[in-house]
Amino acid sequence: MTKLINTICPFCGVGCGINLKLDNNDQLMGVEPQINHPISQGKLCDKGWSTAYAITSSNRLTQPLKRINKKFYPISWDEALTSISDELQGIIEQWGSKAVGVISSARATNEDNYAAQKFARAVLKTNNIDHCARICHSPTVAGLKQSLGSGAMTNSAKDIFSTDLILVFGADPTENHSILGGHIIQAHLQGTKLIVVDPRVTRLAKLSDHHMQLKLGSNIALINALLHVIIEENTYDESFVKSRCEGFDYLAQHVKKITPESVENITGVSAQLIRLVAKLYSQSKRAMIFYGMGITQYMSGTNNVISLANLALLCGHIGKEGTGVNPLRGQNNVQGACDMGCLPNVNPGYQSVDDKNVQEKFSQAWHTQIPTSPGLTSLGMTKAALSGEFRGLLLFGEDPVVTDPDQNQVKSSLKNLDLLVVAELTLTETAKLADFVLPAASFAEKEGTFTNCERRVQRLNQVLAPVGQAKGDWQWLKALAKQMGSDQLNWSTTEAVFSEIASLTPSYQAMTYQKLDENYGLQWPCTNESPNGTAILHTTSFPIGKAQLISVSHTDVDEMPDKDYPLQLTTNRLHFHYGCGSMTRNSPLLERETPVGILFINPVDANHLEIHHQDGVSVKSRRGYLETRAMLTQDVPVGLVSMPYHFKEAPSNQLTNTAQDPVTKMPELKACAVLVKALGEGEVPKTIAQLQQESSHENLPY
Amino acid sequence: MLNHIPDSIELVDYVDDGEQARHYRFRILPSNKGNIEKYQLQPSQQHHWQYNWGKVQPGQFFMLNVPSLGEAPFTFTEAPNKQGEFRAFIRKMGQVTSQLFTMQPGDILGARGPFGRGWPLNTTSSNNNTLVVAGGCGLAPLVTLIDNFVNRLIAQRAISVQTNQESIQEEKQQLVLIYGARNKGAQLLTPERARWHEHIKIFNTLDEYEENKSATTVQGSPLTVLPKALGFFTSPPTIAMLCGPEIMMKSVATSLTEYGLASNTIFLALERRMHCAVGLCGHCYINNQYVCKSGPTFSWQEYQELINISDFSTNFSSN
Amino acid sequence: MKTYLIDDLQILQLHLSHYFQFNQVIKNSDGQPNWQQLLPNEIKPLIDEKPQTSAKGFFFAEQENLLIFNGEFFQETLPTPKAFVLFGMQSCDLTAIHYQDQFFKDDPYYQARRQQCLLVGLDCITPCKNGFCPTVNAGPGVRDNYADLILHPLGDQQWLVIEQSDKGVQAIKGLRLKEARSNALTKREVNLTHCEQLFPDDSYITQGIKKINAGNIPNTFWQKVAIQCLGCSGCTTLCPTCSCYGTRTLKQDNNHFSQQRFWDSCLYEGFQREASFNNPSVDAGSRVHRFWQHKFGDAYFTDFSRYGCVGCGRCEETCPGVIGVHSVMKRIEQENLDA
Repeated sequence: MTKLINTICPFCGVGCGINLKLDNNDQLMGVEPQINHPISQGKLCDKGWSTAYAITSSNRLTQPLKRINKKFYPISWDEALTSISDELQGIIEQWGSKAVGVISSARATNEDNYAAQKFARAVLKTNNIDHCARICHSPTVAGLKQSLGSGAMTNSAKDIFSTDLILVFGADPTENHSILGGHIIQAHLQGTKLIVVDPRVTRLAKLSDHHMQLKLGSNIALINALLHVIIEENTYDESFVKSRCEGFDYLAQHVKKITPESVENITGVSAQLIRLVAKLYSQSKRAMIFYGMGITQYMSGTNNVISLANLALLCGHIGKEGTGVNPLRGQNNVQGACDMGCLPNVNPGYQSVDDKNVQEKFSQAWHTQIPTSPGLTSLGMTKAALSGEFRGLLLFGEDPVVTDPDQNQVKSSLKNLDLLVVAELTLTETAKLADFVLPAASFAEKEGTFTNCERRVQRLNQVLAPVGQAKGDWQWLKALAKQMGSDQLNWSTTEAVFSEIASLTPSYQAMTYQKLDENYGLQWPCTNESPNGTAILHTTSFPIGKAQLISVSHTDVDEMPDKDYPLQLTTNRLHFHYGCGSMTRNSPLLERETPVGILFINPVDANHLEIHHQDGVSVKSRRGYLETRAMLTQDVPVGLVSMPYHFKEAPSNQLTNTAQDPVTKMPELKACAVLVKALGEGEVPKTIAQLQQESSHENLPY
Repeated sequence: MLNHIPDSIELVDYVDDGEQARHYRFRILPSNKGNIEKYQLQPSQQHHWQYNWGKVQPGQFFMLNVPSLGEAPFTFTEAPNKQGEFRAFIRKMGQVTSQLFTMQPGDILGARGPFGRGWPLNTTSSNNNTLVVAGGCGLAPLVTLIDNFVNRLIAQRAISVQTNQESIQEEKQQLVLIYGARNKGAQLLTPERARWHEHIKIFNTLDEYEENKSATTVQGSPLTVLPKALGFFTSPPTIAMLCGPEIMMKSVATSLTEYGLASNTIFLALERRMHCAVGLCGHCYINNQYVCKSGPTFSWQEYQELINISDFSTNFSSN
Repeated sequence: MKTYLIDDLQILQLHLSHYFQFNQVIKNSDGQPNWQQLLPNEIKPLIDEKPQTSAKGFFFAEQENLLIFNGEFFQETLPTPKAFVLFGMQSCDLTAIHYQDQFFKDDPYYQARRQQCLLVGLDCITPCKNGFCPTVNAGPGVRDNYADLILHPLGDQQWLVIEQSDKGVQAIKGLRLKEARSNALTKREVNLTHCEQLFPDDSYITQGIKKINAGNIPNTFWQKVAIQCLGCSGCTTLCPTCSCYGTRTLKQDNNHFSQQRFWDSCLYEGFQREASFNNPSVDAGSRVHRFWQHKFGDAYFTDFSRYGCVGCGRCEETCPGVIGVHSVMKRIEQENLDA
C-alpha cells in the first residue's frame, strides 16, 4: 500500500467515497471506503469492495478494432476516426442528420455525457441523443416534472436519519443501493417506522413493520386507496395543499369511490392494512418515500410516479427535512446524464429543445445552429434502424443487447445499421455487433464528475493511466469532431468541459472543481443564490409554482397470465451484480455468487411443476425462450417468478414485454406472462448463444 | 514449508462410465535436467516428484490442476504405482471438470497430493468385519479400500489352494457393500463393481422405482437394506465406512449406533469445496477444523462433536 | 534486552529508514489514516490513529500470484521483498499479526514477506473509537514479544524504546541512545492501566462470548441477524485476523497461465458451494454464526491460545447492515437468551 487515491465508486447512484490502493508498481491492489465521506461513512457494498477486479480485468480492450465480416482487426485511432467520420458524413449527406444519433451512458462522467450531447446537437445536428434512463427512470423525470417541476430526488440521503417513517415502494435498496439500504436498516433499528410495498419479500420487507405485498402493477390502485382514506379521515395537510398545490378538488372527487375494500382484489392487500398505512404515513410528523423500478418499469410508469407525488403532496411530506419523493436511481451517473441533456427532448439543464429562447441560448453559446425538433429515444432509434430510417449510431458504456427489452429485436435492428460504433471497456454483447469498437478508459483512468441520486456532483480523480490506447469519451469525441471539421469540442482539460457545463446548466451555475473538492461535492441547484448547494428541494416553492395533484387511474399490466403462459414474470436485481455485469462479472467473488442465471420460484409452484432446487428449467414467453436454473424461495409469492437481468447466458430480456408507457416509451419490464418447465434430469441449461446456434441449425433447409 | 506447486502429470487415457463420468488414468512426469535448465527451475522444483505419491492411503485425495481453469479435489481409485501412474473417477460437474473432459491423452495437467486423512488404516488388514455404505459417486473414495480387501482375499485363496488348506482367513473376515443410487443411470463405477461381484456381498438400492431391476437390487435407500446387510455377517461388523450425500451418511450412522456400533467405529468421508488442500484457504471448514486436513474422513463421534457446534442442517439443497 | 529513552523520535525514524523500506501510518488529504511507504525525506511525525486497513496485507497479499504454468511445468512465484519496517503499529494489529504468524506458519508466500519485516509497536494511551482491546487481551499496551521494538509515549516528546527481539536489537545498533531507568517501565505500566480504565463498559461483549460458547444462542437468532448481512465482505476484508482466500487462473500473453490467490469472505453465499450446487452453508444465518465462531469460539482459543478477535472494532465501523461486533453483542445481550 503505497498510494491511496480518493475517488467515487462507479457502481450505483449512491455515490460512495472510495479510495483505491496502489502498490509500488502502480498496480491496483484493492480499495477501502472513505471514513469521512458524507454518505458512505466508511462503508461499501460488495460491488464497491470488488472495484479493483472490475477495472483490472484481463479482457479489457486496449486498441480500436474494426470488424470485417465476423472478425475484428486492430487498427490505429487515426484510421478508426477517419473511417467513422467518413461514414457518418456519408450517411448524413444521403439520409440527413435524422439518420444518425448517439446513445451515451449513465456510467460515464458528466463531462463525457455533455460532450456526447453536444456532439449530437452541434456536430451531427440531431437531437437523436439518449441513454439508458429510458429503461429505468424516464417516468421519474416525466412524472415528477409534471407534479413537482423537477425530476430528481427531492431530499438527501442523510434525511434517512431525520425522519419518522420510511415508505419503500417497489425497490430493494439493500440489493441495489446497499449503503442507503444500510442507512434505512440503521434508522429502523433506531426507531424509524419502516413500511415496504413490494410483490416480493425483499430483505427490507423482512425487517419492516408492515409489508404490503401487492400484486404486480397495482401501484396506482393501492395509492389511490391510500389517498381515499387520508382524505376521508381528514388526515391530510390542509394548509400545505391549499397554499402549495393545485388540483385537490378534482383528486378528492377522483378517489372518492376508490375505497380500500374496492381495491383488495386488484392489489391483493387487505383493506385493513391499507387503512393502517394511510394513517401511519399521513400522521407521521415527517415521512419519506423511496421508490425504484417497481414503480417505473411499467406501462403506467409515469402515472405511478405521479401517484406517489400525490401521496406526498397531500400529506405535506415534501420540502422539509426527512420527507420527500425520492427515486433510487440505478446507475452511478444516471442523474448526471439526464442533467447533461442526454435526452432527445431537452438540452443540458432540462431546457426544452423546442423552446425558442433555449435554442437561441445554445446556438449562441456553441456558435452554431442547433436542431429544434425532439429526436428519437434509444428504443426509437433501434426501431427506426429496423425500418432503415436510422443508419448510424455511436454508443458508449451501454449494452442494450443485454439490458433492453426484447433482445432479439434490438439485435436485428443494430445489425441493420450502416454504421455502429461502440466505445467500451470490454467486448460486450453489443460491441460484438459493432463495425468499430473503441477502447474506453475506466472511471479510474480519467477525471470528471458524477452526479449521484441526491443530486450531489462529486469529483473523481484519475488513479491509473488508461490501459493500452484507451481514451476517455470526451477525448475521442473531440478527436472525431475535429476529424469532421468541427472545433465545437475543442476543450483542453476536463475542467474546461465542466466550466462550460456550469455556464449553460442553471442548476450547476456556481459549481467549480475547486468548490467540489472542498465540500465532498455539492448538491444542485447550486447557483449564485444557493452557492453551497441545496439539500432539500421545494422548501418554499416549486419550479412550476404550485405543485400539481394529478388524478390517475389504475390500468392492468399489458400481459396477464393465461392458460398458455400461466405464471407472471418480473425482473429483479442482485446486489452482487450491476447492470449488464460487464464490470461485476470480472470479479471472481461476485461471479461465484450466482455463476449462472437464476429463476426465483415459490416452492408451491415448483412442487406443482416437479422442479427441485437448482434444477434446470426452461422459461418461455410470447417473445422468447431461455434456460436457467430454479432457485426455490418463499421470497416470491405463488404465481410469480422473478429473474435477474444481469446474465448474458440467460438474459431475462429475451422474455420481457415491449409494451410501453405512452409518455416516456418506458417498456413494461416488470411484468409479463411465462411458461416454466423442468428440463430433463441432469440436463444442463443451455446458454442463449447455444440455443440460438441450435435454432439456426434447425432452420437449415434440408 | 507447504508446497502449493503441482507436479506435472500427463493424461494417459480415459474410459467413459455413463454420459457424465469417466475413469481417468494419469502419469506423474519426472522433471528432467533439460527442463531444469530451460526453465531455470528452483531447487524445490528439481525433485523427481515433489509429493509423496508413493504413500497414498485409501480415502486420501489429490488436487487436480487443469492449467487454464484451476484446481479441484479428487480421490484416487488407484494409487500411483512405481511408474507414477494412477487413476481417478471424475464426474463432469463444474468448470474444471468440463474443461478436463475436452482434454486428450498426452495433454499436460498438474497434481498435488496426497492430502488428508484417509480411511482408518488398521481396519481391513486386521480381522474386522467391515460394512461399507456408499451413495452414488461416493463409492469412488472407497474403491482402493475395497480393492485392497478383494486383492488380499484372492491372494489368500491362492495360498490356500497351493497349500491345499481350507481358508480360515476368509471365513474370519467379511466385507459387505451397500450401494445406493437415485436410479439406474446414477449407478457408477460399473467395472469396479463387476470386479468385486464374486468376492464380496453387494446390496444395491435405487431411490426411484425401476421396471427391470436385477434380483440383487431393492427399491429404497441404503437404510432399507441395512438390517438384511447386517444379518449377512457371520459375526456383527466392528467397523463401518460411509461415503455419499451427507444426509444419507447421517441417517445410516444414526441407525448403525442403534444396532450397537460404537460411534468411534463408524467413519464418514465428507465432500467440501477446496482450494488449497493444506488447511489455509478456509473453504472446507467445519467449525474449527478443515476437511482437507483433519478429514475428509471423520469418525461419527468426531463429526457429531464438530457439527453440534456449527450445525445448520436445514437447507434447500438437502431436499 | 534493554529499554532506552529518546527525545526525538525522528532520529529513530531516519535511522530505520536508512536500512529498511519505511512504512508508517499517516493521514491522506481526507484525514484518513493509512499505512504508507515513506522515503527518508518524507518522514512525518508518528500519529496514534488506527488505520482503516490493517497491516495484514503486507504479509498476506490481497491478490498475489502463486505460480505460473509454462505449458510443461508449474513454477513457484515467491515474492522477494526488500527488508521493510512497519513503524508504530498498534497492539491490536500486532496481536493479529502474531495470530496470522501461527496460521501461516508454513505458508511460503506469507513467510517470504514476514521474514523481511521489522515490527515496531506503539502503545496506545487513549482508547480509540469502537476499540475494546483490553477485553480480548490485545492491548492497549503491546504484548511481550509481539513486536521487535516497542515505542511508548511518555509525553513531552519523550519516548521509551523497548527492545523485544534480536532483530530489534540489531535494528537500533549504532544509534546512541540513553538507557532508561527502571521507573520508566513503571511509568509505562501506570499509563497503560490508566488507559484501560478509560475504555467504556463493554461487559456485554464478555457476556456475549460466554453465551456464544455455551451454545445457548438458537439458530433462529443468527438467521434473524443474517437478514442484515448484505454480503459486502467489508468485515472480513478489514478484520486483521481473517485469512480466507480463493484462487483463480489467469491467462498470460504467451499462452501461459498464472494462478492467483485473493482475499475471500466466508460470508459470501458461494464460499462453500460445491460444483454440484450442494452448499453446507447455504443459510445466511450459518455463515454469520461461523464468522463470530471464528472470532470468539473456544475451539479456536484452544488452537491459538487466544480469541480470533483483537478488539479493533473495524467490523462495527464498516458494516452497512449494522451487525458489527458491538451491535451483535448488544443484541445477544438484549435477546435474553438464557431462557
